[in-house]
Amino acid sequence: MSRTFTRRGEMIRWSLHPKEVDLVRQLVDDLSRAIGAAASPHDAVRARLFPPAVLGDPEADEEVRDLISEALLEDRLAALEEVLALLERGRTQRGRVVTDLVEDEPLKVLTVLNDVRLAIGARIDVEALDRAQVLEDDEAAFPLAVMDHLGWWQEQLLELLDAGG
Amino acid sequence: MSGPLSAPARVERPETDEQLAIDRPWDVIVWDDPVNLMSYVVFVLKRVFGFPDHLARKLMLEVHEQGRALVASEPREQAERYVHDLHRYGLRATMERSS
Repeated sequence: MSRTFTRRGEMIRWSLHPKEVDLVRQLVDDLSRAIGAAASPHDAVRARLFPPAVLGDPEADEEVRDLISEALLEDRLAALEEVLALLERGRTQRGRVVTDLVEDEPLKVLTVLNDVRLAIGARIDVEALDRAQVLEDDEAAFPLAVMDHLGWWQEQLLELLDAGG
Repeated sequence: MSGPLSAPARVERPETDEQLAIDRPWDVIVWDDPVNLMSYVVFVLKRVFGFPDHLARKLMLEVHEQGRALVASEPREQAERYVHDLHRYGLRATMERSS
């Protein structure tokens, strides 16, 4: 299987099969909707991405969350938009969609991949799931496979970012 | 201009429970999570706190094996900034008054 991220000098190249591009677009759109203005505050994805800040002190928790929630949401939505724009910027090369990432773009991609994985985990309640018992045709099988696939991308990106200092 | 009649004297104020509580630092805790990759947690700890690799790995293993790790103990505002940063990276992090 070819690598999704490779270093090209100062840049990191993100190379995706067109089906992977569609998948990332769909996951990013789903996540934007899950945390956007119309989202329910009780949604599992929203709860996971905006977790409690202070334990054992509801008043302090509310104060801190009031302070940080808006900026967190803005950062997240902006990063999702940025990743969609990066995919738009990609050019087709030998049947793959290739985007060269510069400056803080690899970090944006890394955190969006993580947010998407957290969202998938929240949707399927991965904490309550016994992965060994999940069969191929179970509802959770595909989301788990996607989560693992994106995790493999994250590992590649982390390796490159670590090597780049 | 005349000089002071006496050296400034330090006024001793008894420390109340409230004052002690205000002065007490806040502990920042990172909690275990089944989704975040171990390598990602190390990366985030290095990035947010500037920890050297060996310390970030040690704390990540503590999170993984014991379910949580104390990663900082700071005045409230700094602890809030750390929790904000950790949440931005998707880590499960909370702060609590140091015991």
